[in-house]
Amino acid sequence: MAADPKMRFLVVDDFSTMRRIVRNLLKELGFTNVDEAEDGAIALQKLQAGGFEFVVTDWNMPNMDGLTLLQTIRATPALKALPVLMITAEAKKENIIAAAQAGASGYIVKPFTAGTLSEKLNKIFEKMGQG
Amino acid sequence: MTANNDSNELEALFDSIASDYKVTPPASPTPQHAPPLPPAVSAAGDNDDLQALFDSVAAKNTGAAADPAVDPAAAEAAGENWPKQEAVFNRIGHMARALHDTLGQLGYDKLLEKTVTALPDAKDRLAYVANLTEQAACRVLNATDIANPLVEDIESRSRALGARWDRVFANQMRTEDFKALAGETRDFLNQQLPEKTKATHVQLTEIMMAQDFQDLTGQVIKKVVALAQELESGLMSVLLETVPDTKRTNEVNNLMNGPVVNAEGRTDVVVNQAQVDDLLDSLGF
Repeated sequence: MAADPKMRFLVVDDFSTMRRIVRNLLKELGFTNVDEAEDGAIALQKLQAGGFEFVVTDWNMPNMDGLTLLQTIRATPALKALPVLMITAEAKKENIIAAAQAGASGYIVKPFTAGTLSEKLNKIFEKMGQG
Repeated sequence: MTANNDSNELEALFDSIASDYKVTPPASPTPQHAPPLPPAVSAAGDNDDLQALFDSVAAKNTGAAADPAVDPAAAEAAGENWPKQEAVFNRIGHMARALHDTLGQLGYDKLLEKTVTALPDAKDRLAYVANLTEQAACRVLNATDIANPLVEDIESRSRALGARWDRVFANQMRTEDFKALAGETRDFLNQQLPEKTKATHVQLTEIMMAQDFQDLTGQVIKKVVALAQELESGLMSVLLETVPDTKRTNEVNNLMNGPVVNAEGRTDVVVNQAQVDDLLDSLGF
């Protein structure tokens, strides 16, 4: 499946710098339709309002962390098919396993490169195309 | 008999009875009655009692008080006298415990005081670091936001001119068009390109200058690290003295640890994206 450049992204991170970097990287990859949320709780509100096709989220955030957000998305019928890519500094193996088991579409450890983001996005698009 | 030996023996003795002493509820003290009280009295009553008893016993029988090393054997041998002597030893133990606690508190007070003053200072310093790094990140991102369109513009104009020059070389262009192209190209090379590269250069300089935070934050972080080490060693010694072995655990297990700052010798963390991918692949995700 060729990725639609109009695909609407939600970038969730409590640090504005990180949100801005991810937004810029997405822009370089051709995705300009990007919204931001500063924690899982705000992200969930925005997602429930509808219109998003892809979630990129951090793990460690106040109010609602990224894993809880992921679990909530997977448990919500209207949202459960949303691809969720985690970009996080959490690098313990049990973190990665927990994220995979919770249904993460991809896992990127910080610090990361534009190349890694592009590669993971493409991999997720491929899987979405098959599914 | 050295003072050191003495304190070790005492330590063992009062440790064995410390639990009784600690959990004692503040029962109504009856200091003047029943001198050989079991440990179930209030701390205050106990101390008064103890002082009086100790004085009297010490005067009569300095040997027993001064040499606790003979405690179990001597007590056993004493037979009928044992209950009385046990009470004496208990009280000596309590006294030593109180002394020990007071001394400990004196030492730890300094540590606590230092912590109370040092931590807000460290907090301020770290807030300063967070502030400077955020500013730097913003400056760099702003600079790239300005520079990117400049570079993109140079690229698109170059491509447009290049495509027209391709037509010249393919003999597909009329003379007047060629003259216009030559003029535009000259203008681009003399005016637009230098202007845009100059503006880009300004932004690159801005990015470079934004790194000046590293010098300042580096100094501040070094100070905070030194402080943390000092506090850690102080707190460690308190913990080692007070926490029983069984309560000591190596690691707090949770899923929000933040970045791994030192992965050396650890097998529970990944250090790069390739390892993340390998792990997920190995699990079939």
